[in-house]
Amino acid sequence: MLLMSNVSKIYPGGSTALQDVNIHIEPGEFVFVVGPSGAGKSTFIKMLFREVIPTTGSIFVNGIDILKLQEKEIPYMRRQLGIIFQDYRLLPDRTVYENVAFAMQVIEAPHRKIKRRVMNVLELVGLRNRCNSYPNELSGGEQQRIAIARAIVNDPLLVIADEPTGNLDPETSWDIMEIFKEINASGTTIVMATHDKEIVDAMGKRVIAIEKGRIVRDEKNGVYGYEL
Amino acid sequence: MDMSFSTKEYFVRETYKSIRRNGFMSFASISTVAVSLLVLGMFLLIFLNTNNLAKYLESQVQISVYMLDEADNEELESVGKRLSEMEGVEKVTFISKDEALEKFRERLGDQQQLLDSLGSDNPFPNYFDVQVDSPERIQQLTPQISELPQVETAKFGQEVVENLFQLTRILRFGGIMLVVFLSMATLFIISNTIRLTVFARRKEVVIMKYVGATDWFIRWPFLLEGMTLGFFGAIVAALLINIIYSGLQTKIYATLAFLPLLPAYPLLTYVSFFLLVAGTGIGALGSYISLRKFLRV
Ligand SMILES: Nc1ncnc2c1ncn2[C@@H]1O[C@H](COP(=O)(O)OP(=O)(O)O)[C@@H](O)[C@H]1O
Ligand SMILES: [Mg+2]
Repeated sequence: MLLMSNVSKIYPGGSTALQDVNIHIEPGEFVFVVGPSGAGKSTFIKMLFREVIPTTGSIFVNGIDILKLQEKEIPYMRRQLGIIFQDYRLLPDRTVYENVAFAMQVIEAPHRKIKRRVMNVLELVGLRNRCNSYPNELSGGEQQRIAIARAIVNDPLLVIADEPTGNLDPETSWDIMEIFKEINASGTTIVMATHDKEIVDAMGKRVIAIEKGRIVRDEKNGVYGYEL
Repeated sequence: MDMSFSTKEYFVRETYKSIRRNGFMSFASISTVAVSLLVLGMFLLIFLNTNNLAKYLESQVQISVYMLDEADNEELESVGKRLSEMEGVEKVTFISKDEALEKFRERLGDQQQLLDSLGSDNPFPNYFDVQVDSPERIQQLTPQISELPQVETAKFGQEVVENLFQLTRILRFGGIMLVVFLSMATLFIISNTIRLTVFARRKEVVIMKYVGATDWFIRWPFLLEGMTLGFFGAIVAALLINIIYSGLQTKIYATLAFLPLLPAYPLLTYVSFFLLVAGTGIGALGSYISLRKFLRV
């Protein structure tokens, strides 16, 4: 599903964000990427959808060497991914329904498919009855659920999330994690950067720990392993 | 361009929303396009007409001898006789005021209503059409003819032709300068409007990229917005040009009856079509400039 070999990233300013990262993730896995602030988690996440290009190394996503793709092939690569951010990144002037449908419109999905599919994913994230509300009428947790619905509406093979519960209280975070569990249970691979020790420890999934740009630990059924 | 119905619908909706959101700037853009194209269109019409007039005059080997209205029949006859006796004159034809009016009526074709504005006045003088054997003869005879009694003026095409071609050159140069200047102003204001749109939608653009929209899918609504602004500006300009030229034609026929103005149609159809293409093109170019600068896709 995902293969990184000898990946390093040195930003133009000279700061080394990642060093010699080697990772192999199988289809269907649920992987946490943990580490202190500034460790390189976001850089790691951004490299998966070619937002950040590594200085050296190679990255394969679903068998494709994404660093060898031409510019015009990148959109098609991204259609196999679902991306979720800490700050939701919703469009405030569009309803819940429109925010999710947007992801299907821009990849030119057929009209008649959009409605049914959007309602289905809104059902999955529990927002079917709020489909005509605007994001600012909803709580943070609900907004993140819109973002999750948008990320999975096009049936991605891999869902990538950068601190998706970073702005949410513990209880809401758990609701969100339940949704991720469900998505993972249907076979979708999930890679999630997080700070949330409690969640990581309780989920018992694979944990990749990064410190100062290096992978210091990679365990199946791992724990967070840092003091807060 | 191969796109599905829902995609086209999406583009049209986005374009409409954006033009409304930019309200004042959209209005300013449409107005600027309209003014620029109006000037461009006017220049085109003046240029085509001057050219046409020069060609028309050049082809003449004749002198028109316009008589004063107070000349009586005897005097007219005597002038006619003296004209036909001059050396190099091949044919002298007398055209009375009434005949002149009638000739003009024929030339008008289906635009007879232009004559209504004349009322009962007949602005045409009595005149002689003097055919000579060569263009050189014209230079020599015209001063002599002007001296004959009761002659108001003796005119021939060639001298005007030189001036007209001169004028055409000036018009062409001045026109091109003005059109270039106005096009730049138009490009500037359209690309500015699109810049506002890009700015207003930068969040959307980022999300579009994350969910896998192609670059062209992202660009289209912006290009369409520019093209729409250009197109509407051109429609305004084309309407104004049609109204102005038709109106001017009525006025010119009523006062400068001899001026062979190009008929309104199909001339105005071509000019309008040209303006629409130019407006839409400028709109597309204006957006493209802005996209190159401000939309990193
Ligand atoms: N765009 C950038 N330009 C320069 N340095 C950056 C950039 N993004 C991140 N960095 C640096 O790279 C390091 C890793 O950052 P990041 O990947 O955001 O870590 P994390 O998400 O774990 O907090 C930090 O030292 C940060 O300052
Ligand atoms: Mg981060």
